[in-house]
Amino acid sequence: MKAFAALLALVWAALNAVLAILMVVNAFVAKTAQHEGLPAQAALLLGGLTIGLFAALLAWECYRLVTKSAAVRG
Amino acid sequence: MIVRWLVALVAIALAVSGAVATLGQAGSGAQPWDEELSDNFVFVKVIPFALALGLALGIALGGPRRADASRRFAPATIAGHWLLALGFLLALPTGVWQYMGGILDVSLPLPLYLIYRIHYIGAMLILFTLAWFLGYWWAGTDRSLLVPRGQWRRHLTGLAHELPPRLGRMIASRLGLDLRGERPTAGKFSFYETAFSFPTWTFVLTLITITGLAKAARYVYPVPGPLLYWASTLHVAAMVLILIKVLDHLRYTLARWSLVVAMTTGRASASLAPAPRVAPASAAGGDDE
Repeated sequence: MKAFAALLALVWAALNAVLAILMVVNAFVAKTAQHEGLPAQAALLLGGLTIGLFAALLAWECYRLVTKSAAVRG
Repeated sequence: MIVRWLVALVAIALAVSGAVATLGQAGSGAQPWDEELSDNFVFVKVIPFALALGLALGIALGGPRRADASRRFAPATIAGHWLLALGFLLALPTGVWQYMGGILDVSLPLPLYLIYRIHYIGAMLILFTLAWFLGYWWAGTDRSLLVPRGQWRRHLTGLAHELPPRLGRMIASRLGLDLRGERPTAGKFSFYETAFSFPTWTFVLTLITITGLAKAARYVYPVPGPLLYWASTLHVAAMVLILIKVLDHLRYTLARWSLVVAMTTGRASASLAPAPRVAPASAAGGDDE
């Protein structure tokens, strides 16, 4: 059960990591600057970095959950 | 108690009638609307019924209950939590797609109205559940997730103790908290939950609800352009904050597996606060948050 929950959470973290990368990359694209302006670029960058950080923290927690339960079983 | 359930039954009947009338009007073929505009009208017309139904059911299910220390969450809380989770699961990815699709200038190989439709179904579930929780807590007596009046300093000090030491010291220094005194003992919920997690959830859910309602209202009322612009901008900001909150919520609860068990079975475990920096939970007064 723990491993299954960790897997689901890991998928969620991976999807959020992809989103974070897209947000950060597109913060520096000329089209975003032309269409959305500087505040939107800053929001994309800040939002992307924060989502990326929390996705990494969640992925780490998933790893800990799986390794901890494996250690208990072992 | 009987009156509450009578009101809930009336709300159910009204919600069903409202939904049938709204969907019947949209599906009659008499209106010159495309699928997307039709969905917009259906959504905005069903909102009052969803809110009223959630509120009535929440009040009916609320009220004082027998104290049971073995329970952490009542069945109604568990149902509301997972309904809210389902709402997020539908509304968040579709909301992200609406925003990022525009930024990336790409389209999915399926009609846009389907993305909106799923987003609206998720939003409807979220609105229903928020109204449910408002009614449920209003009718109930347990306020253990709220920081009592005059207790903010104590709860923030407890939060600073629960955080990683360096982060805790930094926050304590910024807020002028003294960490040298006796460490406060957490109640049913950790200080992280009472002083940080629940208040921030309240803020982001209020923000996404108000801005979402303002956006939806334009189909029945001429909402001024600037208001609509700010509602749309803040709706996206709230969506990003909710993405972060969901990640943080999953991180926090997975690290405390007994919380996952409690939100599935309702049963409290002896190891509800297994993290070493969290003070042990004191005996719970009620059986619900």
